[in-house]
Amino acid sequence: MAQSAPITFNTALPVASKEYLFREQLIVAQSGRDPATTDRDRTEVTSVSVLGYGVTGKLAVFSVVPYRNIDFDLTLGNQRINRNNTGFGDATLFGRYTLYQKDGLGSNFRVAPFLGIKLPTGDDDFRDSRGITPPPARIATGSTDLFAGVVATWQKLSYQIDAQLSYRKNNEGNGFEAGNVTRFDTSLQYRLWHSDFSKGIPDYLYGVLELNAVHKGKNRLFGVTNQNTGGTQLFITPGIQYVTKRWIAETAVQIPVSQNLNGTALETDYIFRASMRFNF
Amino acid sequence: MKIKDKVFSGMILSLLLMQSAWAAGTHYEMRVDGLACPFCAFGIEKKLKAIDGTSDIKVDLDKGLVSVNMADGKSLSEEQMKKLYNDSGFTFRSMKKSPN
Repeated sequence: MAQSAPITFNTALPVASKEYLFREQLIVAQSGRDPATTDRDRTEVTSVSVLGYGVTGKLAVFSVVPYRNIDFDLTLGNQRINRNNTGFGDATLFGRYTLYQKDGLGSNFRVAPFLGIKLPTGDDDFRDSRGITPPPARIATGSTDLFAGVVATWQKLSYQIDAQLSYRKNNEGNGFEAGNVTRFDTSLQYRLWHSDFSKGIPDYLYGVLELNAVHKGKNRLFGVTNQNTGGTQLFITPGIQYVTKRWIAETAVQIPVSQNLNGTALETDYIFRASMRFNF
Repeated sequence: MKIKDKVFSGMILSLLLMQSAWAAGTHYEMRVDGLACPFCAFGIEKKLKAIDGTSDIKVDLDKGLVSVNMADGKSLSEEQMKKLYNDSGFTFRSMKKSPN
């Protein structure tokens, strides 16, 4: 791929042959609207490190390593209980191959399938001071999961559109199996400003608008399906992105516009993202 | 003429000679398709800089042009540039060269 790329997904990140790309993204996911009576409140702060390498001009490989802090509160009886976990989550590896490429003057179009695996490399001890933590407070799943999808990019000098469709097959680890995930993401990056073209490679300022549709299946714990998990969420994600030839700074907020969740599954309030990217 | 003035004149003359020696060589202008954002241009600059004899690399996103100067006795081939741009994720179209 050859573009500035969306904020909420990594599969469109551009990296040239024999070059590296590094992205560090801070994600704060807040969920506090509890349809049940336990007044659950969950805050997940994650620092995601993404390293990409261009094997060839068309094949790129990526590693994704998250470091998480999860703070989960709920009320049982009259007692407010806090569960907290911090540590490395599971690492993900994926490869992307540009299958179709059409370039024009100041424009390009790419279609690239990708295939990835999440490995049980994270801290899956699942314990805090109160003992074994419930699944919402765990920083890793301990499972080996596979995912695949396709990402497309259409870029002009003044704007860029990306779209990805992906499916993740989650497996069981330590008795827990998260529901499978299907997601469709689109991103429009519209150039609001650029520095002087005549002074070499200019800087761009993009206004970003993304849509994220996510469907999660129900979780299973020791073979028993949890009816109060999974469902479909739609987010609208406004953001901003400052692009230079060497680095990109970007931020966006995912705001839920529709949450059709199963049973008493906890709704998302917002997901905040801020990141920096470097070519080297 | 004072010694200080002589030294200064000598330095100016040396700089002018260096500049004319530097200016010798070939100027290449390449049409490249797919260039649309600053972040894309880094890989191209880096790969061109790695070629012995290149200087004054310029990328014009608006016109899809990449220009580079080559030192005297050094040259770029179309095959070499086709591979370079392909590796960077772009499409090489054409190349014009002129004396620098």
